[in-house]
Amino acid sequence: MAYRSSFLILCSSLMLVCVFAANEAPGTKNQELASVVFRPEAGKFPDLEKAHTYQGELVFVDHANRRGSIRVRAGSDVLYRNAPHPFAMLPYGVVRYHGATADLRDIPLGTMLHVSAFLPPDPKISAVPIVQNPSVEHPAENHVLLLEDEASYCLRKSKVWKLKEVELQKNHGMVIATLEPKDGGDGTAAEQKMTIDTATRIWRGRECLGIADLIAEGTWTAAGKKSLGGQAVRLGLTWLPAGTWENRVENQFHITDIWLEDTALQRSAQQQTGVHQALIRTRWMAAWVDAVEYGKFGRATVTATLFGDYDATLFADLAAGSKMMMNGAENTLKHAGGAYGPAHMAAKGSILEVTRVPGVAPMGSSGVQVRFETDLIIEGIRPGRVVHVRPSSWTNVAVPREEYLGDGSKLEDRFPSPAIFPKY
Amino acid sequence: MMFLVRCSWLKTFVVLGSLFLVAGSLNVAGFAANEEPRTKNQEQVAVPFRPENGKFPPLDKSVAYRGELVFVDHATRRGSLRVEFKSEFFRSPPTPFAMLPYGMVRYHGAPADLRDIPLGTIMNIRAFLPPDPKNSSVVTTPNHWYPLPLENHAILIEDEPSLCLREGKTWKLKEVDLQNNQGIVLATRDSQDAAAAKDPEEKLTIDSTTRFWRGRESLSLADLVAEGTWPASGKKSLGGQSALLGLIWKPCPDGIFVRYHISDVWLDDKATQRAIQSQTEVHMSLIRSRWMPAFVDKVEYGKFGRATVTVTLFGGMDPSLYADFKKDGTGAINGAENTLKHAGGSYGPAHMASKGTILEVIKTPGVAPMGSSGIQVRFETDLIIEGIRPGRVVRIRPSGWPNVYIPREEFLGEGSKIEDRFPRPDIFPIYR
Repeated sequence: MAYRSSFLILCSSLMLVCVFAANEAPGTKNQELASVVFRPEAGKFPDLEKAHTYQGELVFVDHANRRGSIRVRAGSDVLYRNAPHPFAMLPYGVVRYHGATADLRDIPLGTMLHVSAFLPPDPKISAVPIVQNPSVEHPAENHVLLLEDEASYCLRKSKVWKLKEVELQKNHGMVIATLEPKDGGDGTAAEQKMTIDTATRIWRGRECLGIADLIAEGTWTAAGKKSLGGQAVRLGLTWLPAGTWENRVENQFHITDIWLEDTALQRSAQQQTGVHQALIRTRWMAAWVDAVEYGKFGRATVTATLFGDYDATLFADLAAGSKMMMNGAENTLKHAGGAYGPAHMAAKGSILEVTRVPGVAPMGSSGVQVRFETDLIIEGIRPGRVVHVRPSSWTNVAVPREEYLGDGSKLEDRFPSPAIFPKY
Repeated sequence: MMFLVRCSWLKTFVVLGSLFLVAGSLNVAGFAANEEPRTKNQEQVAVPFRPENGKFPPLDKSVAYRGELVFVDHATRRGSLRVEFKSEFFRSPPTPFAMLPYGMVRYHGAPADLRDIPLGTIMNIRAFLPPDPKNSSVVTTPNHWYPLPLENHAILIEDEPSLCLREGKTWKLKEVDLQNNQGIVLATRDSQDAAAAKDPEEKLTIDSTTRFWRGRESLSLADLVAEGTWPASGKKSLGGQSALLGLIWKPCPDGIFVRYHISDVWLDDKATQRAIQSQTEVHMSLIRSRWMPAFVDKVEYGKFGRATVTVTLFGGMDPSLYADFKKDGTGAINGAENTLKHAGGSYGPAHMASKGTILEVIKTPGVAPMGSSGIQVRFETDLIIEGIRPGRVVRIRPSGWPNVYIPREEFLGEGSKIEDRFPRPDIFPIYR
């Protein structure tokens, strides 16, 4: 009888979970807590700690709509079978590449990325398919707060790869390494085998070397094994097909880049920072509208919190007393208007105040608030909505056609359909 | 105005700007919708040239244009370019293109796959009308008030260094003018052929993100300034220094719509060779795992499923890959689509492929047309599979290449969905 009772309870529980899954797309992370599904809310930055994390290969990018697909790494399963899994960036979602802020367009296809993601804030208007039956390789959490490559992840987590051994044959081979804290490490980290070949870039100071250069210098051997003595480096990773059912190699990654020293990675970070700064100066900084105080005849004072992870020099361009513009935007960060440049229809005015919210800003937020007064408030600047902000010192340019809505008459422009993603 | 180049090797320029201005957008759109004329020779609308299955089309019948790579769907070998017009470039909508099955991608002077090209790269394209408009994976009649090219099936797409290396051209840097870590470079693209028409001097932007490749060094503008090679601010003559340039586009201020930005400068041959070598290795690794694509020229059927198949290997790969096909060696041939997706692959492409022996490797005399390697392989199998028919695309692998499974999006699966074989063009947004 005890068994029968347990069986009935189990069945009831499963039915509840199944019903819940169909309606709510519960998270992969905490399926046992399906009754308390967490979804980010408009106007609030969710706690990074509540995000579901996974790793995968970037397979597809639709940068204009800030979405793409990742082949999710699932346990020890062969990666090749995992169909591309669509994801969308949250409006305040952060992309990091080579230890610097980036845009999706900056990340090469094939790059292994670390993902911290949530359930769709509003499933009805999700730009990617809602996952009804989540699994490890198809998590329901597909709205991304943080997307970062291996080097950025290691920098954020203060980790390094320690190279133990390399074995080369005909300019390709295998590296054995462990991922450990930069300072210390108890020696218990599992060893990982990764492939390497003549296309692998090895960064040392301002040099970009190949394995042939290290062999010529005598640092590495042309053939056979060599101990690397736990040399601490940062890696860029991709995935290449390897193995079959008969010859399984599981989730074996390929090393695209090795930064042998901090200086080398700093140079890469500096370059990527410059690329992103140039992008933001032409596309404007994104922000959330916290409050709008309406005056007379279209006058209004707007308080907005700038999204995070921009380079500090960009924030420095916003100063009390100076001029700025604010334009409506969508959750994809597309400008609401732009046929004559985003400045054409934007609300113009003066910065009243720039304040830094005390404490550590949550991921996605800069912690910088701007109060701005305009004599002509436009539609789209409402509490909880996304806007773009531009200090008037930035060069006024028009943005590419796919990065603004046009006349906004097509619903699809504002809420991109998930139908572009193939079903496998 | 639109930048279009007739393909008698870049000698005749066809400027359609006047047509656009005179005819007006409605006339152009209406014409396109009714007739689907070629952009190149609208006066010859009655005999449009389209590539045929199993034949490599003559390059001189293609249309050349260039633009910014904006979108890539590498698994189905298609994407979008922002086509260059000598007007409001930012308004030029992403224009879809598809690679012909034998269409070649080149990056950094080496064979490449679409997945290797960073978004934003300025690409030079040679393209034809869709061979079969009904099955085109991209729209065949882009309806826009810009005169977008109808030739959107590419036989060649290459970045600036690849074009320069292929055509024997080099950039000559005349002068740099810097302010606050950014500035303008004056340069001309010169040909080794003294008789060739001179390209006009161009103004290109440069900034702190531009990478300078010198030998094995990767330098920044700050490094060149620190060395004293370039000035911290102001003008300096560069004396016509030869270089290869990587180009991208950034929105320009002051009403300048088309001014390219220099992403990379290769300052010497050693640096160029290193870039070529790296990209070649990436592509070789890809082809070894995805197999060499080819056209089936002929199938001679024997008894009980036995057959001898003659295929022509597609071109543009590293010679060492072709050298792996040897007489009396063993290998496998698998069916493929025009997207080069393997027909089967759930258990790896080798699972359902026809296995057999290479009887002969034949080098076709003369210069191979673009898209072809000029190398034929005769292959005998004891079990011919569906998909290996004259005019069809196949993928072939010498048994020395690693036997690996390929990613899910690169094979058809069971093939029951027509969409898998003939991808629809509706993933591309329509901009007005």
